[in-house]
Amino acid sequence: MDVRPQLIDALSALRDRVAAVRLPLPLPGAERAWQTRVELLDQLDDYLLPRLKDPEAPLLAVVGGSTGAGKSTLVNSLVGCRVSQAGVLRPTTRTPVLVCHPDDHHWFAGVRVLPQLTRIWLPPGQARDPDGLDDLGAAGGDEESALRVETAVSLPRGLALLDAPDIDSLVVHNRVLAAELICAADIWVMVTTASRYADAVPWYLLRTAKEYDASLVTVLDRVPHQVIAEVSRQYAALLTRAGLGDVPRFTIPELPESAGGGSGLLPTTAVAPLRAWLTHRAQDPAARQQSVGRTASGVLRSLNVRLPELAGAVAAQYAAAVRLSGVVEEAYRKEAARVRRRLQSGAVLAGDARTRWRGYPLDSSTGELLDALVESLVALLQCAVAAADDEIRTTWRGEPASGAFRFEDAGREAGGWGPAEDIEGRIAVAVRRWRRVLEELADEEVRLLEKNAAPDAETVAALLAAALLGGRRTRTAGEQLAERIGVQGALRLRDKGGALLTACLDQVMHGERDRRLAPLDALDVAPEPQAELIAALSVLQKERVKP
Amino acid sequence: MTAVTDQDQDRDPAHGPGGGQGVERAGTEPQAPAKGAGRDGRWDDGLIARRAATASEEPDEAADAEDPGDAGDGPDGPDGDIATEVEAYERSGGPLTPRLDSLRELLGLSRARLDRETLAEAGRVLDEAAARQRLSSRHTVVAIAGATGSGKSTLFNSLAGAQISDTGLRRPTTASPIACSWTDGAAGLLDRLAIPGRLRRRPQQGGSEADAALQGLVLIDLPDHDSAAPGHREQVDRVLALVDAVIWVVDPEKYADAALHERYLRPLAGHAEVTFVVLNQIDRLPGEAAELVLDDLRRLLDEDGMALGEHGEPGATVMSLSALTGEGMPELREVLGRFVQERTAAARRLSADVDAAAARLRPVYVADGRPGLGERAREDFTDRLAEAVGAAASGQAAEREWRRNAGRACGTPWLRLWRWYESTRQLGGLDRMALALAPAPAPPEEEITARQRVEQAVRAVADAASAGLPGPWAQAVREAAVNGARGLPEALDELARNASAGAGAGAARRAAGAGTRTRAEVRAGVRRRAAGPPRRRVRPGGRRRYWCRRR
Ligand SMILES: Nc1nc2c(ncn2[C@@H]2O[C@H](COP(=O)(O)OP(=O)(O)OP(=O)(O)O)[C@@H](O)[C@H]2O)c(=O)[nH]1
Ligand SMILES: [Mg+2]
Repeated sequence: MDVRPQLIDALSALRDRVAAVRLPLPLPGAERAWQTRVELLDQLDDYLLPRLKDPEAPLLAVVGGSTGAGKSTLVNSLVGCRVSQAGVLRPTTRTPVLVCHPDDHHWFAGVRVLPQLTRIWLPPGQARDPDGLDDLGAAGGDEESALRVETAVSLPRGLALLDAPDIDSLVVHNRVLAAELICAADIWVMVTTASRYADAVPWYLLRTAKEYDASLVTVLDRVPHQVIAEVSRQYAALLTRAGLGDVPRFTIPELPESAGGGSGLLPTTAVAPLRAWLTHRAQDPAARQQSVGRTASGVLRSLNVRLPELAGAVAAQYAAAVRLSGVVEEAYRKEAARVRRRLQSGAVLAGDARTRWRGYPLDSSTGELLDALVESLVALLQCAVAAADDEIRTTWRGEPASGAFRFEDAGREAGGWGPAEDIEGRIAVAVRRWRRVLEELADEEVRLLEKNAAPDAETVAALLAAALLGGRRTRTAGEQLAERIGVQGALRLRDKGGALLTACLDQVMHGERDRRLAPLDALDVAPEPQAELIAALSVLQKERVKP
Repeated sequence: MTAVTDQDQDRDPAHGPGGGQGVERAGTEPQAPAKGAGRDGRWDDGLIARRAATASEEPDEAADAEDPGDAGDGPDGPDGDIATEVEAYERSGGPLTPRLDSLRELLGLSRARLDRETLAEAGRVLDEAAARQRLSSRHTVVAIAGATGSGKSTLFNSLAGAQISDTGLRRPTTASPIACSWTDGAAGLLDRLAIPGRLRRRPQQGGSEADAALQGLVLIDLPDHDSAAPGHREQVDRVLALVDAVIWVVDPEKYADAALHERYLRPLAGHAEVTFVVLNQIDRLPGEAAELVLDDLRRLLDEDGMALGEHGEPGATVMSLSALTGEGMPELREVLGRFVQERTAAARRLSADVDAAAARLRPVYVADGRPGLGERAREDFTDRLAEAVGAAASGQAAEREWRRNAGRACGTPWLRLWRWYESTRQLGGLDRMALALAPAPAPPEEEITARQRVEQAVRAVADAASAGLPGPWAQAVREAAVNGARGLPEALDELARNASAGAGAGAARRAAGAGTRTRAEVRAGVRRRAAGPPRRRVRPGGRRRYWCRRR
């Protein structure tokens, strides 16, 4: 197949867009979309791009299917020697094995396909103990997936067989890896058995193959002799009903070798038809062209559906992020307004602060009055923040997207909410800082006055604070202030102090709000990736239709 | 590929009771979606599951729905007439009935607080237990379950000694449950399983001696749980929820299938005592391979968390046999016969259901932490209220005034307020606040009490009271505190007004009223925490324990 470089460029660009997709919010459907993304990447990286770049690379036939279906025995028999271990314990194959002709080895030794799998390869000539094969696989480590590459002269050039792990056993790693390997195949060889052919799990895979229009063959393996005709007929009927009637089918009887008896290899006659079919695909240019072209264009076509799906999930993330931050902003906006109203109505000058003010100057000192006012303001702000947080918590609880956020229990380091003590501490610090600045302001003002007439700076600060915080309850504070430092000075102080107070309130409320937003912002959920995905797809579509 | 393979059944149904970081990300892949979506109990499997979801749009997914077949239950009121047919419902772990009663009581107490979904499973357990207890205790209903082609029907026929259920090459063969009853009187049980009359059979007539041992057995041959045939799995799930015991038939090809272990054996690990796992088709294995496979099967069961009944310990019975050649069948008959004659399967099964339900509910009721208010929290609360009303400062002011003018001290409003505050700190606390109030005239003033302080005090005391409670209950305490504190600032206002205003005896009475109300309100907020979680909970051991309360 001839491929223009522009198409490959468009695909690469698309691939990078897909790789850039992030779905940090646990929305319903996000998990599935994430799987779509991973699957897309696998198909682009492991199959489509390498295939389009190197059309002459050998055909890769991946043998997949249920555990115990006889995949390893089948591969061994096709190759003619034991390259992959077979056994009675399920699942046997944990490390996938790729077999190819020695001349084709270079195609698979590097990172052209399946770059994430560590290659295990013994140079030809080095003795190999077939029973130790699995130990070799184990050397690759459990976490890091490995791929064992074997060469065999008995295989035709231009064909590689891959013995994949099972798709349905308890070993999760196997299922994950199997799906990934199948994505890399030019030809999907699905193996099933007389007792498995109706299993649900393999059928999902067959349907996937149909959906992507991949080149597919099925092998009905381990069928007891007496019942071959019957079982084969039933399987054919199921395939036809699923719209897969034209898929080539091969049937292999159950032999003692299937269960590991004898040499462990099926007689050549049992696998000859499948072998001949595969060889023909690899060596006949037209057949080869057909197999490769079909799978490749199937994947390309499937992008038209899968990419918009992915883009939809990305858009949902953005919408959810906007909703979540909207809740925070609204809650803090409301509380900030309430604080302002309450300040005007003199709410700070209540309780202890009021008592101090009433007792001032006779029964309470300037310091006590200032302390009480500051504490009262702190309490007002702490209440406002707590109420806003409550509101956020309640609303967020109804949002699945907020599942990832854990409120104040932690997040100190991350600039998050932090525990309640932290929040209260931050507010107290901010208000005390305001008090200090206010005292400095009073100090400067007093210094402007003549020495002997000048009142005590702390008194000025306390009266100023009372005037600013007491609303209409402390009208006399302003009068007293004017008496001591003159009307001009009193007004000037009030203006400046008022500005400082507003700044302090804003600093507290905005600061806390931003901390609530910080974990969301850190996720950096933006609207662009969606548009970029769609744009990349339409570029690709244009390149595809060009001659 | 990332395949998300978690089973979702253990996941916390609500967002946890708080706890955790700003953002928690799943797995090692930093931008992968956090897991936890799709809590529908579906068995998930990456790429394959994506297809599963697509496939489920076809009509074969009525899964996880309510049982359609238990219409024959009769009335299932919680206090149904249990007595009629029950003979032997004792088990080693403890009597079943009190445990069911406890669970029922727990659910009754929780209905107002927890959503229906959370309680549904436990409610179903109770209903099914009641339904089962109303039916024959002489019979033991045993289902044969397994993958298609594992040989369930062959084993069923072999036990019955007759060709009752079709066996065959076609996969899957059995499409609906078939019953075989060794003893009369099982009609009610089979009605409950919704098995139609034409599918109710008897074992071979004139049975052998061995058959005498199986008296009381009701055997059910089930469809498979793993084929693509629509409806089979739903039937299996429905029947499995209702039978007394299960024989899982596995074969050398499929014994490690995820569908079996992840979807069934792991969730049913607690039912080990009423579980048999038989490795069938050992005649297909060469030489000593059968032993190897059996060992591997035991290992897998162990990893599933299923206790194995070895060395006389209670747990699942694991054996190997060939239903076709008959190898190992006598042993199965013997074990099954003993099991049926014990007549404890039904109670054990129900008990395991209660265990599972209780374990699932546990996080909703119990969190690590001891809820309740300490002395500290109470004192802090009173102090905060005193600050809110201005009484703390009044104390100092009064002292100073007293020093200035000792003679007139007793008359000042400050001192009276101060005395009130002090009195709240002594025995009797707020009870006596009204008594400490004394008359003194002055113009009334709006909002003397600092609202924000009261709000803060209430929030602090509610937080302290609800610390360590699971989500819904903590929420309940907070709500109770907020409701209880409604009107508190006004009451305090009046208190303070009266303190500074003072008046004749009439005002004192009014003040006393206010004081009492205030106290009542404050107490209400504090006390209602106790109304949070019901105090009794069901424990696996079957005994009741009471919540440790500090009052
Ligand atoms: N070799 C051998 N074959 C067996 C054994 N048990 C059952 N079979 C065969 O396995 C096939 C399936 O048996 P069934 O009993 O129909 O299996 P099933 O589990 O009922 O299958 P479904 O009804 O489809 O779920 C039949 O051909 C049986 O003859 C056994 O122990 N050894
Ligand atoms: Mg059957």
